[in-house]
Amino acid sequence: MSEEPAGEELLARVARQDAAALGELYDRYAPRVYGLMFHILVSRAAAEEALQEVFLRLWEESSRLSEEGRSVAAWLIVIAREAAIGRLRGLRPDPQRDDMPPLRIKSEKMKAAGTRKSKDVHHAIAGPKTVEGKNEARKVSPGDGAKPPSLNEFSSAWLPQPKEIDLIEERLGLLHKAVNQLPKPQRQALELAVFRGLRDSEIAVELGEPLGKVRSSLRAAVTYVKHRRRAVCGTWAANI
Amino acid sequence: MGCQHLEELYELWLLGALSGQGSVDLRDHLARGCPHCLARVREAAETIYLLGRSPKPARPHPRVKTELLRQISRQAAPNR
Repeated sequence: MSEEPAGEELLARVARQDAAALGELYDRYAPRVYGLMFHILVSRAAAEEALQEVFLRLWEESSRLSEEGRSVAAWLIVIAREAAIGRLRGLRPDPQRDDMPPLRIKSEKMKAAGTRKSKDVHHAIAGPKTVEGKNEARKVSPGDGAKPPSLNEFSSAWLPQPKEIDLIEERLGLLHKAVNQLPKPQRQALELAVFRGLRDSEIAVELGEPLGKVRSSLRAAVTYVKHRRRAVCGTWAANI
Repeated sequence: MGCQHLEELYELWLLGALSGQGSVDLRDHLARGCPHCLARVREAAETIYLLGRSPKPARPHPRVKTELLRQISRQAAPNR
């Protein structure tokens, strides 16, 4: 059985301007990155454009990323989510076209926006239905409160190491099974945060629930997922 | 010692789901180089990764890769 090079090995080659290595990284990671972005944007054209931007950004930041030794898979998923949420939150029009014109990629900040076609906010945390449904464009206005880490402020120093992500990948099925067991109110709130990019105050409006209840649901949800992940990956810390 | 009140917030902060003072406090701790907060944010990113892996993978159109590589080669040889 031939052994594939690790993502970080490929990244090191990309940092030396090896376009073929970027192609290999794309082949390996594009399906999961695109799957996530399509799940959020529910538009093939928007997700494909955003996918290209993410990999172009990877090309541009490869040197620094490679030096830091953090997980390229984690970088891709985190940045992809940010990019898709950015589009969803109304920073740039969604093409929504089948015949996509040649893309002009902005190599600096990924300012993105999109409108969202969805008939239902309910996406399963695991095993979702992806639906290109009715054209119900939906814009989410930026919420109140203090600033979360935005795309342009996210530090790759916050990313896990490759071995931590490898462990998650090895046990992904089991982890998804565990996440699937989240109680419904917590799952609903978490889905809106993860895949719609809503803040707790916005989730409260969306669900018609008190803010305090939503905050409790979100905290309980992430605590649950965190503990399950630690248990399944065997990284239970003594202070928990 | 000053981080205990932030324990349940790291994942939500990375998700951008927090409004209010918790977000400010966490950002301040990170800006000051708090090692506990940095370790917890890195761990929280694992949870974000796991949640981000929930949707099914999907195949984009092959033109996306073609255009990506074309953009890169154009960047590499602008004077060609």
